[in-house]
Amino acid sequence: MIALARAELLKLRSTRTALGLFIVILVVTLGPLIALIALLPEDWLAADGVTGFLGTASALVPLVLLVFGILGMTNEYRHGTITYSYLVTPRRWQVMVMKLVIYALVGMVTMLLAVALVYVVIVIGGAIRGIDIDATGGSTAGDYARQIVVAGLVTTFGVALGALFRAQVITVAATLIWALFVENIIAIIKPAVGTWLPFIVFNQVSAGQMPGDGADPALTSEMLARPQAFLVSIAYIAIVSVAAVFISLRRDVT
Amino acid sequence: MPVIEAEGLSKRFGKKVLAVDDVTFAIEAGTITGVLGPNGAGKTTTLRMILDLVRPTSGRVTILGSRYRDLRAPAGRVGALLDSSGFHPGRSGRNALRVIAAGARVPDERVDEALELVELTGSAKRAVKGYSTGMKQRLALAAALLGDPEVLILDEPANGLDPEGMLWLRTFLRGQASEGRTVLVSSHVLAEVEQTVDDILIMSKGRLLAQGPIDRLTAGAQPVIRVRSPQAEKLEAALSASGAAVNRLNDALAVRGPTAAEVGDVAHTEGLVLHELLTEQPSLEDLFLQIAGTRRDA
Repeated sequence: MIALARAELLKLRSTRTALGLFIVILVVTLGPLIALIALLPEDWLAADGVTGFLGTASALVPLVLLVFGILGMTNEYRHGTITYSYLVTPRRWQVMVMKLVIYALVGMVTMLLAVALVYVVIVIGGAIRGIDIDATGGSTAGDYARQIVVAGLVTTFGVALGALFRAQVITVAATLIWALFVENIIAIIKPAVGTWLPFIVFNQVSAGQMPGDGADPALTSEMLARPQAFLVSIAYIAIVSVAAVFISLRRDVT
Repeated sequence: MPVIEAEGLSKRFGKKVLAVDDVTFAIEAGTITGVLGPNGAGKTTTLRMILDLVRPTSGRVTILGSRYRDLRAPAGRVGALLDSSGFHPGRSGRNALRVIAAGARVPDERVDEALELVELTGSAKRAVKGYSTGMKQRLALAAALLGDPEVLILDEPANGLDPEGMLWLRTFLRGQASEGRTVLVSSHVLAEVEQTVDDILIMSKGRLLAQGPIDRLTAGAQPVIRVRSPQAEKLEAALSASGAAVNRLNDALAVRGPTAAEVGDVAHTEGLVLHELLTEQPSLEDLFLQIAGTRRDA
């Protein structure tokens, strides 16, 4: 399994996909953040609501990681490298499990870096503007830890979806449409159903306001309790990952 | 004990496509065996079933005494070239091999040796997307050789190679066999492997039509009579009427069935002029046509 892990990490290091991921993350998180710090008036920047908003600059990272996970798996089929993966390790479940694990770790490390970068940029930006900005935006260590775990889960989810559906463009497009639009529409029409949908559940694990936190009950009445949301997330990952491994075992590589 | 053994091997894709139909064969150690047949004959599917990439619908196949998936460290025992497009285009040739080597627990030094063997050292750091088809084919061959395996399975290895590359490949395969390796190589270009292989498996439409040493199979085949005549059309009609199988090759005829003397007698009886009349041992292509034709007739 160590050899498999080395091979998987080398796959990540030896193409520009991972580098592209980091560039996209820098653009979607730090770009707007730097612009806001540079352009907003001092009294706006010092306001509580704005500091809270700045602290969530890394909220888009899981979406990028989801696509990264899908690409990580679908690229194997697209370029035919899955043939060599299975020739070297014919017990296919090992290939799949190691890919899921490595991508979970890469997702978590990437989120950790993103959160740290956001923190550093806010601190440095505030110092340059001469404003004392709360770089955490009110987040606790627990909030950060949950964001990092969810990033790992979402990346793994992407890998499993890629293994299930293989077709790269269709899988990426359908998943983004589902995550960004379909789930939210269902949540508006049927909140009791929407709250159980996968990407909304992932959000509930990492969300800042949860039932019992003293938050506005009107905002959180339909939300799952955090432990419940976490267990449902794990269940989603487990179901999709087991399905991905099972299908990979039976699929002909032609 | 055979190195590769297939028994009643069949593969059906969906309900309509029977890609391989009840194929049984055995490959002996230290030989170069050609799997020959036209496109769609079932060669690639058969090779992929040996390597556990395609699951048989029925039958079984073993390599080195067990199923491929049950081999310990398979890359060190079996090397395979299946598709020259099995590399990420953005990865360098060397890194493409390093990824495979890492999974197979093969050190990076062996990657460089394999690149040297296929004469790609100078291009090792270039991205695969910049490689020609022939270079990709050599890279795939290097991937097959990474674990210094005792069995090589090569699917259409000459695809994309120029005549110089084909000569290089023939020499290379002979070298591998002389070192005691067992080589199973598929091709749809019969003349290409005729000079290379010891044994052949002839496939067509998913079925195995013939197998055995190439010398024995061609010796047992009917000789071909080549005959040239300025009245080729009349001669063709006369020979066909006498029951011979006749193929037109430009101004010459390839005749199967009668001897050269019998062809001469037919020409004499019909008052036709001959410019050339000779008996040829059948080529692999002739053998294939005979076998495939016989099976079709049957």
